[in-house]
Amino acid sequence: MNEGFRASSERPTGGADGGRVLPGFPGIVDADPVGPLWRGAQLFRAVSYCYALGFHIAVNDDLTHSGVAWALFGVLTVVTAACGVGYYRGFARTRYWVAGEITVVVALMLSTMLVADDHWALGNQTWPTTLWATNAMISAALLWGPWSGIETGLVIGASSTIVKGTFDPNLGRNATIIVIVAAGLAVGIAGSTARRLHETLSAAERRAAAAEERERLARQVHDGVLQTLAYIAKHGREIGGPSTRLAELAGEQERALRMMIADIGEADTQIVAVADDAAGDTDTVDLTVVLRGLAADDVSVSAPGTPVPVGREVAGELRAALTNAIANTRTHAGPGARSYVLLEDLDDEVVVSVRDDGVGIEPGRLEQARRDGRMGVSKSIVGRIEALGGRVLLVSSPGAGTEWEWTVDRGMS
Amino acid sequence: MNDEQPRLRVMVVDDHPMWRDGVARDLTDEGFDVVATADGVGSSARRARAVLPDVVLMDMQLPDGSGVQATAAVLAASPGTRVLVLSASDERDDVLDAVKAGASGYLVKSASKSELVEAVRATGSGQAVFTPGLAGLVLGEYRRMSREPASPAKPTLTERETEVLRHVAKGLSAKQIAGRLGVSHRTVENHVQASLRKLQLGNRVELARYAIENGLD
Repeated sequence: MNEGFRASSERPTGGADGGRVLPGFPGIVDADPVGPLWRGAQLFRAVSYCYALGFHIAVNDDLTHSGVAWALFGVLTVVTAACGVGYYRGFARTRYWVAGEITVVVALMLSTMLVADDHWALGNQTWPTTLWATNAMISAALLWGPWSGIETGLVIGASSTIVKGTFDPNLGRNATIIVIVAAGLAVGIAGSTARRLHETLSAAERRAAAAEERERLARQVHDGVLQTLAYIAKHGREIGGPSTRLAELAGEQERALRMMIADIGEADTQIVAVADDAAGDTDTVDLTVVLRGLAADDVSVSAPGTPVPVGREVAGELRAALTNAIANTRTHAGPGARSYVLLEDLDDEVVVSVRDDGVGIEPGRLEQARRDGRMGVSKSIVGRIEALGGRVLLVSSPGAGTEWEWTVDRGMS
Repeated sequence: MNDEQPRLRVMVVDDHPMWRDGVARDLTDEGFDVVATADGVGSSARRARAVLPDVVLMDMQLPDGSGVQATAAVLAASPGTRVLVLSASDERDDVLDAVKAGASGYLVKSASKSELVEAVRATGSGQAVFTPGLAGLVLGEYRRMSREPASPAKPTLTERETEVLRHVAKGLSAKQIAGRLGVSHRTVENHVQASLRKLQLGNRVELARYAIENGLD
C-alpha cells in the first residue's frame, strides 16, 4: 500500500545499519523506524487483554452459550499472545498478519450473535470488548498509515453495529466510534511521521558518508594522480612532437580533476553558508567557482581567494558572455592566442575583464560587422551585460589583442 | 648560466620523489647547482640552515605540515634565501599565506621547463615571480583587507601598483606593462615587488601585534 509497508515487511528484524538492539533481547535488532511504536502498542494489547478477561469473567454467566464463549476466549488469548510476540519481535509486521488479525477480531466480535441473545447484545459491547478490538486498528494504522487506521476503526464500528442490530446516530451519547477513528488517525500519523523522519535521517547520513568518501578520495587523488598528470603534461610538452597531444590530454584531465576536488570544498562552504542563512539564500553563487570552471590550457583565470557572491542570473550571464569571448578568441585571434580572465570584487559591483593576446580587431571592423549584420560578438556579449544593467568597455587594436571589461551590479536581492 | 656569475644554489622541497628528482635534474641540466633536496617542513629547515641556498623551490603539501610553515621555517633558518612556491593551481589560500610568510613568487606545477628555469633565475636575481593567478589573488587580498575595520597595520596599494597588478593578472608581461604605462621595465618590477613586500610586512606587523596583545612580548 505504501512504502512504509514494504520497509517493515521486508526487513522486520533485519540487522541493517541504524538498527538498535532491544533492551532485554540482546539477539534482536529492530531496524524498523516504527519499531518503538509497535512495541509500545503491545503493552496496550496486554492491558486491553486484562480488561477483556475481567469483562468476560463478569458477563460469562449472562451469555446463552457460556462454554462456547470460553472456547472463543481461548482463541482470543492465543491471538493476543501470537500478535503480541510477533509485533514486538517484528516478524508479524506484515500485511498478511495484520489482515489476519483484523479478520479474527471482526469474527470474534460478530460471534457475539452466537453466544448472546439480542437483548444482551443491545445493552452491552461485544464480548471481546471494543478496547481489545482497537488493537487491530492500531496494527493497521502502524503498518499502512492513518487512512487504514480510520478504515479499520470504521470496520470495527460497523461490526459492533451489526451485532447490536441498530445504529445509534446520537454520537453525543456514545462517542466510541469517534474515539476509535481519531485514535486510528493519530497512531497512523505517528507511524508515518516516524518513517518519514527515518528516511530523511538515512538520506542525510548517506549524503554525509558520500561526502566524506569523496573528500578522502580527493586527498588521495590529489597527492597521487594529479601530480602524475601534471608531470606528464609538463614533460610531454617539452618532448614535443606527438607527445604534445598526450601532454594536452594529461593537462585537461588534471584540471578537470582539480576542479572537481575544489568544488567539493566549495560546495561544503556553500552548504554551510546556506545553513547559516535562515532565509536559505540559495540564489547566490560564488562567481570565483563559476569562472574558475572556464580555466583551460589557453584560458587563465585570476580571481580573489575569497568567495565573490553574486546573483544566480548575473553569474549565468557573465559565464555565457565569457564563453562567447573565449570562443571568439579561439576562432579569430590567431593560433596560440590565450585568454586571460580577471575577476575583481568592488563591494557593490564586480568587474570581469577578459583579454586575449591575439591579433586584435582592426579599428572599425566591429562597426563594419554591425553594418553588415554579422553581429556575433558585439550583440551577444554587449546585450548580455547591458541586460544586467552593466557597463561594457572594449579595447582592441591590431597586434595588441582584444580586451573586454564588464562592470555589473551583484544582482543579489 | 653565465660563467662569470656564481651558479645559483637551489634547494628543492617536495615529498614526491618523482617531482623532486625531475625538477632537480631539470635545474642541474640548466646549470643550476642543486645543493639539497628535502621532503618535509623539518628537513627543509635543517638543510636550509646547513647549506644556505639562494633559492628554495617549495611544494605546498608536505607530509609533516604545509608549505606555508616550511616557507617560514626556511626563511627563519636562512634569512638570505628566496622562496619560490611551486604549487598546484588550486591551493589558493595556501599560496597567499606562503606569500605573506615571505615567499617571493609562485608558479604552477604544470608550468613548462623553460618557465620554471626562467622563474628560478628571476627569483635568484631578486625579482618577484608573479603569475596572472597570483596577481588576482593579491589584488583580491588587498581589497578584502580594505573592507575590514581600519587598522594601523593594514597595507594598501597605491593606484599605480593596483594598475600594474591588474595588468599582470590580465597576462601582460613586465615589458608590455612598461610599454603601456610609459615607464621603465625596472619601475614595473619595483611596483610588483612592493605589492608583495607590503603584504609580508602587514603580516609581520599583525604577528607582532598579536604577540603583544597576547602577552608574548
